[in-house]
Amino acid sequence: MNILTSLLSLMFFPAGISLILSGMLYEWADRKLVARFQNRIGPRWFQPLADTIKLLSKEEITPHGINNFLFYGLPIVALSGALTAALYTPVLGLTPIYSFQGDLIVSLYLLSLLTMCTGLAGWNSTSRFSLVGATRSLTQLFAYEAPFLLALLGPAMAAGSWMIKDVSTYASNHWMFITQPVGFIVALIGLMGKLELPPFDAPEAETEIVAGALTEYSGRGLALFHIGKSVELVVAISLVTAFYLGGIGNPLIFILKTLAILLFLATLQSMLTRLRIDQTVGMWWRFGALLALLQILVIILLKGWLI
Amino acid sequence: MNTQSYVNQLMSGIATWSRINSPWAIHFNSGSCNGCDIEILATLTPRYDIERFGIKLRGSPRHADVLICTGPVTRQARERLLRIYEQMPEPKFVVAVGSCGISGGVFQGCYNIVGHIDEVLPVHAYIPGCPPRPEAIIDGIVKLLTHLKNGSRPQPLKLSHQEIA
Repeated sequence: MNILTSLLSLMFFPAGISLILSGMLYEWADRKLVARFQNRIGPRWFQPLADTIKLLSKEEITPHGINNFLFYGLPIVALSGALTAALYTPVLGLTPIYSFQGDLIVSLYLLSLLTMCTGLAGWNSTSRFSLVGATRSLTQLFAYEAPFLLALLGPAMAAGSWMIKDVSTYASNHWMFITQPVGFIVALIGLMGKLELPPFDAPEAETEIVAGALTEYSGRGLALFHIGKSVELVVAISLVTAFYLGGIGNPLIFILKTLAILLFLATLQSMLTRLRIDQTVGMWWRFGALLALLQILVIILLKGWLI
Repeated sequence: MNTQSYVNQLMSGIATWSRINSPWAIHFNSGSCNGCDIEILATLTPRYDIERFGIKLRGSPRHADVLICTGPVTRQARERLLRIYEQMPEPKFVVAVGSCGISGGVFQGCYNIVGHIDEVLPVHAYIPGCPPRPEAIIDGIVKLLTHLKNGSRPQPLKLSHQEIA
């Protein structure tokens, strides 16, 4: 692959600008679905775009007593982490551009980078609300990360590969949400935890701690964190769809599958209320991790028995 | 017209469009009787659904564009009101909701009242009523947005730091 095509694929398609735009569309779909569940009309289709441009054109306030390098660097690192993870995932049902043995682990850690950056940003800005929000973000990270990873390990073990490309190719012949229903459910709920959607929105609970870790951010920093989060939504949903709902295939059908997952997430969002942070952690380690481990144990036993 | 000024005009046009379509609000009560606050909360409910216009209530003043003020400004609340106003990033707009915010209302002349909101902050839109109905609040905010679209906008007040502290 020459330099020009790699640059094009990095900047425009499938990563880069098109990914950011599709992230905005997914965010709109999520907000619209939640609005319809609440019997509202909901936002217009360009709402996330308008929000982002407005935030980018606003003044950026630098609080006193912070590390400037971290304050301006963290949003960029968070966004670039999410964008890099997209290079290894089958976004929109296309074969990933780059892949190597073990890229599943790398892309999962790149997706966690956003949460880590949010936590650091909250710790860096000297405000009590952002500090509490940062603590909650990182606590929640420790809660959902292991079960989510275990839930995605199930298909990888069934396919016998650590490469997202191989696993998704294997998954296009084996619909793994039928053979591994427990892992599928854990992965879906883990997705909600990862994206800090309700009922796992304790880190940015606006009724308790103003806006969580990003309380002190205004303008560009906030916009970059927002874009990063919507990119992460697309990447994580694509990952779960590719692993559990029939792998790489026709982009149109793939998008319909991701929208089905989004519908499920929106249903849960509007049905459930916010969990306390200790309830979140307890739920994940008491049930989520155990169920995912059980799933993996069954896969190991079956694989040994069949071979 | 040269290329650069054309680009500048285009960029500012896009910025204005985005500003009109996504006004995030913060709500501050500087001494009202809570009647207007209840109406503002009613405006945020699914029945009136102001997310249609992109309006969202944010907790942090750093994220907000529109400061929705209710009530007269008491001597205690004056500093806090100014501080919240100063914490908001430019460009920012102030909406005074209710008769008390506009003129002091029934509290006019009280010993503990500085006055109406206009005496402390530059107000961009006034919404009369005691309390105004949610429809009136939505109408006021939409009127503010149409004013922004036409480009007219009152000059914000410059405050020194001694005044706030």
